[in-house]
Amino acid sequence: MPRKRKQKASSRVSARAVTTVVVMRLYIANSAPNSAKAVANLEAICKEYLQDNFKLEVVDVLEFPQRALADGILVTPSLTKLSPYPSAKIVGNLGDRASVLHALGIKH
Amino acid sequence: MSATLASPKPASPGNAAAGVRVANGRILRLVRSGPELRALESGQVDAVLDRATGTAFLLPDAQRALAAAGGGIANSLLAALPRADYESLLPALEPVALASGQVLYEPGERIRHAYFLGDAQVSLLTVVVMERKSLEINLIGREGMIGIPLVLGAETSPVRALVQKKGSALRMPAASLHEALRCSPALRHELLRYAYAKLLQARQTAACNRFHPIEARIARCLLTTRDRVRSNAFPLTHEHLADALGVRRVGVTIAAGALQRRKLISYRHGLMRILDGKGLEAASCECYAIVRSLAG
Repeated sequence: MPRKRKQKASSRVSARAVTTVVVMRLYIANSAPNSAKAVANLEAICKEYLQDNFKLEVVDVLEFPQRALADGILVTPSLTKLSPYPSAKIVGNLGDRASVLHALGIKH
Repeated sequence: MSATLASPKPASPGNAAAGVRVANGRILRLVRSGPELRALESGQVDAVLDRATGTAFLLPDAQRALAAAGGGIANSLLAALPRADYESLLPALEPVALASGQVLYEPGERIRHAYFLGDAQVSLLTVVVMERKSLEINLIGREGMIGIPLVLGAETSPVRALVQKKGSALRMPAASLHEALRCSPALRHELLRYAYAKLLQARQTAACNRFHPIEARIARCLLTTRDRVRSNAFPLTHEHLADALGVRRVGVTIAAGALQRRKLISYRHGLMRILDGKGLEAASCECYAIVRSLAG
């Protein structure tokens, strides 16, 4: 089954942390280099900016290709923000933090 | 988020771009524009999804990294190759998921792909059209490949290749295999050796089917399957055993019942379990040991 994870609250609290819950889905290819990078980059962003206020589902496309195709995903890694509105999609290893924050609607 | 993920390896945009080119333009056809293409061009992509086939193509860098992280190569024939030869094959190898009951080739059909099996298992069946029956010649697992006729210069399949157990495989187009056989003496040697072993096994099995009692043949078949799946428990139906051995189902039921009463196996709800491997080896004919020694 696709893995569902929820990050525990971090001891480090950002002054500009958001309070609405951000729901995201990350599509990866097992532990391939860019997928591992995307997980690490997203983990750092969640820890710093979202603390407890996010839900993340990780879908491995090598295991569930049809699931990714049904969601309109063409390449991995890809991150989709499902809520709050508007939804957004970010493609790549999420190394460009400013773009990721912008897509997630996080002011920084 | 995940403690199990391998340490990220720095991406190499140059290599990724080269990988895209050697994928016969297929990747570029799938990703033509937008942020996906930009990510692809900057080396930030591991896999591309193909809507037509419902599969994910790993780019060569990702494939190499996953093979290294997995501690080895799933298929024994590929694992036996020198690293450089194996890596030269990667652009032409496409990971696919094989579904149980899927037919890879029908007899007389042109072979479009060779399959190097991972945890999937495929039966090669000789089909006797007049009798509307088929006989299993080989059960192939991670130790082997499907598409031997290509190695021997033929283009069509003499048998039906039927997936018995769903699982992974690496698929290579026939033209790419011909090219690889030309360029890699190690691959050519490995696949010819494997083809010869399969020929010897078929000879042994033909003699076994003619001379040995059903009970011993069932024991051989179960032990061979155990070796393929690397497990003492596996799903197996009496129908499949009857097809594999070319006997009537009632014969299988009687002989399997005898093995069960001797507490060598148990069979319940379609799951075969070997309880006493040594005892089952003793109950099988000598063909098991011979075929095992020939196994690719």
